[in-house]
Amino acid sequence: MTATAGDRATVEAVGEGQPLLELRDVGASYGPYEALFGVSLTVRAGRALALVGANGAGKSTVARVVSGLVPTTRGTIRFDGRDITGRPAYEIARMGLSQLTEGRSVFASLTVEENLTLSFRRALGRRGVPDALARAYAAFPRLGERRTQSAGTLSGGEQRMLALARVLVLKQRLLVVDELSFGLAPVVVDEVYTALERVLASGTSLLLIEQHVDRALVLADDVAVLSKGRVVYDGPVAGVEGRLGDLVLGRPDPGEG
Amino acid sequence: MTQFLNYAVPGVPFGCVFALMAVGLVLTYKASGVFNLAFGAQAFVSALAYVSLDQDGWPRWASTVIAVLVIGPLVGVLLDRLLFRRIRTASPLVKLVPSLGLLVALPQLAIIIAGSEPSIPPPAIVGNAQRVYLHLGSVPLSGLELSISAATVVVVAGLVVLFRFTPVGLEMRAVVESPRMTELAGVNAGRVSAFAWILSSIMAALAGVLLSPLYSQLDPQNFTVLLVWGVAGAVIGRFASLPLALVGGLALGIAQQVVAGYMPAGVIANGLRPSLPFVVLLVFLPLVRQRQVDDPLSSCDPPSSASEAATAGFRSASTVATSGGAVHSVGVWHQRLEGLPGSRMTGILVRRPTATFAWVVGGLAILSALTWVPPDWLLTMNQGVAFAIIFLSLTLLTGMTGQISLCQATFAGLGGFMAGQLANHFGLPIVLGMVAGGLLAAGLGVLVAIPTLRLAGLPLALATLAFALLADNILFPNSWIGNGAGGITVPRPSAGPVSFAAAKPFFLLSLVILGVCAGVVKLVGDGTMGRYLSAVRGSELAANAVGIDVYRLRVLVFALSAALAGVGGALFGSLEGSLSANDFGYQISAVLLVVVAIVGLGSIAGAVVAGVVYTTLQVAVTSLPSRFAGLVAVLFGLATLSYTRHPEGFLDFLSGRVQTAIADRRSHRLGDGPAEHGPVDGGVGERPAAAPDPVIGGAG
Repeated sequence: MTATAGDRATVEAVGEGQPLLELRDVGASYGPYEALFGVSLTVRAGRALALVGANGAGKSTVARVVSGLVPTTRGTIRFDGRDITGRPAYEIARMGLSQLTEGRSVFASLTVEENLTLSFRRALGRRGVPDALARAYAAFPRLGERRTQSAGTLSGGEQRMLALARVLVLKQRLLVVDELSFGLAPVVVDEVYTALERVLASGTSLLLIEQHVDRALVLADDVAVLSKGRVVYDGPVAGVEGRLGDLVLGRPDPGEG
Repeated sequence: MTQFLNYAVPGVPFGCVFALMAVGLVLTYKASGVFNLAFGAQAFVSALAYVSLDQDGWPRWASTVIAVLVIGPLVGVLLDRLLFRRIRTASPLVKLVPSLGLLVALPQLAIIIAGSEPSIPPPAIVGNAQRVYLHLGSVPLSGLELSISAATVVVVAGLVVLFRFTPVGLEMRAVVESPRMTELAGVNAGRVSAFAWILSSIMAALAGVLLSPLYSQLDPQNFTVLLVWGVAGAVIGRFASLPLALVGGLALGIAQQVVAGYMPAGVIANGLRPSLPFVVLLVFLPLVRQRQVDDPLSSCDPPSSASEAATAGFRSASTVATSGGAVHSVGVWHQRLEGLPGSRMTGILVRRPTATFAWVVGGLAILSALTWVPPDWLLTMNQGVAFAIIFLSLTLLTGMTGQISLCQATFAGLGGFMAGQLANHFGLPIVLGMVAGGLLAAGLGVLVAIPTLRLAGLPLALATLAFALLADNILFPNSWIGNGAGGITVPRPSAGPVSFAAAKPFFLLSLVILGVCAGVVKLVGDGTMGRYLSAVRGSELAANAVGIDVYRLRVLVFALSAALAGVGGALFGSLEGSLSANDFGYQISAVLLVVVAIVGLGSIAGAVVAGVVYTTLQVAVTSLPSRFAGLVAVLFGLATLSYTRHPEGFLDFLSGRVQTAIADRRSHRLGDGPAEHGPVDGGVGERPAAAPDPVIGGAG
């Protein structure tokens, strides 16, 4: 469609390890309620960043600001070498940024196949759809079995698979995952995380928002800790070993004066 | 069977038109979250364009194409762009008022533009309307019936294909579930919902054009009735299902003809047909869930602030019950700010000038009325006082409680008729009659409140609208109530040797009655009940949870509000000397709500100003050429456009501005630098938005 519509070939793709997503001093609010007070963090290409923090710290708001669902009040967001601050959500999505929202992130009233078709047709054109569907079903055979079922009748785990299948087939640049394990049984969480590893392995970078900090840290290269709308740590996972709990809960750090 | 067909077949064209309306309403509601009551007006505008073009000698196909495919979508897109897109997530009241305003204003605007209402019966879009082309069994089918049915079938088939088999159909279904998630899939949801608006506007336009030949002349009222039928169809479709809405509309069209056919002639039978929508609404509205599938991303919206902002004046009481148990974080925050020592002082200092100003203006107005003002002006002012009482009923019901009623004029009319009938037949003094009228209206208020207890917001508004329609058709035409269009006489009061028949004494009496009514509203607002009402307005669930009997409270406040309206109506009747059903028809209720919402639902002053402004403007336009008779409606309709930005109402907005300016200057003089614009220094217009419903909203 437009120049922004994911014609990635013409864009100088950000190289492995370089900053793919950069938030600089980003603020956001819901009406009069401020949620973020100057958040800065970086997701590097091909890596996974875990964003952790207590309830109400603003993790979901970071995800929504990145994908354009919630407008920023200040600061800038750069993605794939371009300034995306203030861009509408659909344009950001077409640039190769996907988001799995907390809880349900598929259209319950549409069938499995319609859910996939909706984004495939936009990205690949009408001719590309059958091939893309075939690849999605190959990656997740259970989706193929349920292709005509409405997505609302899928189990929570299957719904996550459906959302991930879309990302995997379209080879997105970045996937923002908001509480992937929310409401899932532990055994299902394992399954879903395996799928997420495949997404990461396929070259998609991850911004991982998770209350199960241990899970997230297994996959993540870096970690950012959010507390009351501010980033209190941003760096390699190794640098935070042992004091993550204190940071998340906002306890004073004994190591610093 | 043949007899049934004889009745049912003429109902089919009506049913088709109702179905088109119902489907269009559901379509926009689902795709853009707005229940577009201006839909009836859109149908009228296109019908008017069609008939006007036809009379100017355009070929019928060209008139149809221009009216349905050009003007219809154009109006729809304009409404979407200018208005509805901005209020998608607003409170029910803020969504409802503009569409009501437009429902009344658009037809009048179109008439002003077109010059006059065409009076020649419009032709059918194809074929000869009257000629019988074929028979179904023994039932003749005219060109009109055939053309309407054929057009509907084509449109419905087109819709089915669109939704099932096209990309934009898939995208529309996605947008219906969650516009935001659709955006995350890379689809421009705004464009998709604009397309849905175009589509539904075409359906409204088509319904209008198809319907126009069924009436001998184009009258906006017929299209409001059409809207109500469409709403009933949409309610059968539970605001969600297009096929059900279609079937519902069709069934209603046939049912109304069948009912009329089998019932013996008489007031009840004549009234039963127009009251079918009310019955349907009462039965089906409780089945409606606001959204079929929840939007998982709805918490991205800033919490809706309008229900509170609309009633900023009553805020002093609003942080009590709901903030109990600290559920309302904002309430706490707000109290803390107001508790700052400095701010309280400035608040008092700042508030005084505007209040003083209001009292001075009011006093001067009353003084003028009693001395030099000419009699016809005095009459207008007195009408304003009567309407101020009716507006007070909305201040109480909608302003304090957040319940939307579209039948306040019905209560007013009933109160007036009661007072008049008692005076005429039993010689009861009219002042006692007013009390009796108020009591009767209160009883009726209870009757309306009880079946609608579980409704709120839009469904409640629709149910009360349907009730008003029912009363117009079944109650008011009876000779022992309103005596139809002929009306009844209502005498001026006298108490022993003192007569209030003359203009000035009557004006004084009216002021006293207004004072009493305003006192009641103030007592309720400032008292425990007011705090309960504020809690209910904040959240019914939360109010229930802290032990408030919400249902009892709602019945009580409905009764009280109806009583106020009844007293106002009786006063108005006594002032005019006579009262007819036309004075308080159902469309008046819509106008009343729009007017008082624009001026300000948040204060007693708002109701008084609304009364004066409303009557004065109506008198003012009578001096204009007849073409501009609808100008008041147009003005208020257009004012609703600004209302969406300032739901606190014109009055609060203005006094907020003045207070901020004064505070600025004062603090400047004191050398503190400019005062902070915000809640602290009395910027009423810029008060912080309220918390979301702590129980329902605000998850995540």
